[in-house]
Amino acid sequence: MTCTETRDLFSALADDALAPAERAALDAHLAGCAECRRELAAFGRTVALVRAIDPAHAPAGFVDRVLAAARPEPWPRWLARRLSTPWPTLPLGAAALLLVAGLAVLLFRASPEPQQTARYQSAPPAPAPTRETTPSGASDTLQDASRDAGASATATREVAPVEEAKNRLEQAAPAAKSAETSVEPTAPARDAPPPALEGRRAKVDSITTDTARANRLRQDAAPLSRTGPMTGILAAPPDVTAQLRAADVSVVERSLIELAGRLGGRQTGRRIDGGRVVVELAVPREAYAQFVREATALGPLSLEQQTTDRPLLSVAVTVSN
Amino acid sequence: MREALGADPPGLLERLRAGDARAFEELVIAYQHRVFGVALRMLGSGAEAEEIAQEVFLRAYRAIGEFRGEARLGTWLYGIASRLCLNRLASPDRRLARGDEALADVAAAAPDAASAAERAELDAALRAAIAELPEDRRLVLVLRDVEGLSYEEIAETLAIDPGTVRSRLHRARLQLKEKLERFA
Repeated sequence: MTCTETRDLFSALADDALAPAERAALDAHLAGCAECRRELAAFGRTVALVRAIDPAHAPAGFVDRVLAAARPEPWPRWLARRLSTPWPTLPLGAAALLLVAGLAVLLFRASPEPQQTARYQSAPPAPAPTRETTPSGASDTLQDASRDAGASATATREVAPVEEAKNRLEQAAPAAKSAETSVEPTAPARDAPPPALEGRRAKVDSITTDTARANRLRQDAAPLSRTGPMTGILAAPPDVTAQLRAADVSVVERSLIELAGRLGGRQTGRRIDGGRVVVELAVPREAYAQFVREATALGPLSLEQQTTDRPLLSVAVTVSN
Repeated sequence: MREALGADPPGLLERLRAGDARAFEELVIAYQHRVFGVALRMLGSGAEAEEIAQEVFLRAYRAIGEFRGEARLGTWLYGIASRLCLNRLASPDRRLARGDEALADVAAAAPDAASAAERAELDAALRAAIAELPEDRRLVLVLRDVEGLSYEEIAETLAIDPGTVRSRLHRARLQLKEKLERFA
């Protein structure tokens, strides 16, 4: 047996996977070849190093997340559970504030310049006075209806937004199943996911959408608690709401800011929402596709994009691990 | 190295096929660390590994009716995980420079500062050497020397000949040995 033939058997020797005849020939060669014995010792140390690597453990909550993704709650149970929770009440004072806010929106939307200024100079939003939303929650339909009421006909806020939302909820009840399971295509620049991932990503998108709606509602509900240049003026919701998962939040946050700068945009704000970092960026429309491509490389990214023709897009990225 | 795969939990496959909800939970609990582990060592990102690991179980959940039971559940799941990892690594959008955290927990507790520094240097070299392996060799190395599968189990997992397992593993180890020569 030559030295080359001998060394080709080192791996099988380390795994005790040699046939008796191979083992005998190997031993015979090693007995008379000091160089191969040194090689075998070095090979054995390398194998030992790799085997000393600690086996990894799945992160806490992994099982629950898999089970939740595998077995979405049946829609009748979901609807019943959500309807059984108490409705949020709105004091008269808050309703008055909403009325003023509605008027402010009308004025605000009538002139584009304050919108741009507000988007890039907005102070961090005040904590939401309303209750927290849940990933797929009851208030979703209510929030959806409230959002629609605000987006499609702002003037309806002046009447009674919550009552209108409730009415819409009642009307929307038969469609609750499709609302729960439907997947809306979002950003046009987003790559289409592989078919097998669509189901799960649909859920992620749905959660992202719900969170974005909740954020918009919170912004709508608390405009007057802001301070600084935004006082008394509603901040428009971001053109793009994104969620980015990252092992190291601070590194990814810096990367996003650097990316926006490199593409001709800039950071416009930073806030903490529910313990998670939200980076607010302005990204030129023509560089948006590139932004999405590079942001995707930083970690799993989900997006929701509003229809807009503005040259500079406002992007709010929630970074979490 | 992880302990040997062993046999499937008794009756689990039958209960899964019967649509027993509790059985799926038991499957995830039993194999979560193995599936996540191979994804982490292959992809180098905890977030990405969790995403792939979740997808592995979701695919298993959907396809359990088509699983013929010729392989063990463990090797079946390792097989799905391996394919998804290789697909992800082949994705053109994937950033290449990943892997910093793949072996982040390699280091054992060091008894003193000097050995801690040496150990850190060795870990970094080991991490880099494994990350530089061709993906098919890295996969076999991870399945054998980190996840503890036998040659036969790896062959079953990857649907390749045991002789191919042996040669890929040997080349991977030789490549590592050359990279880590100065630490030997």
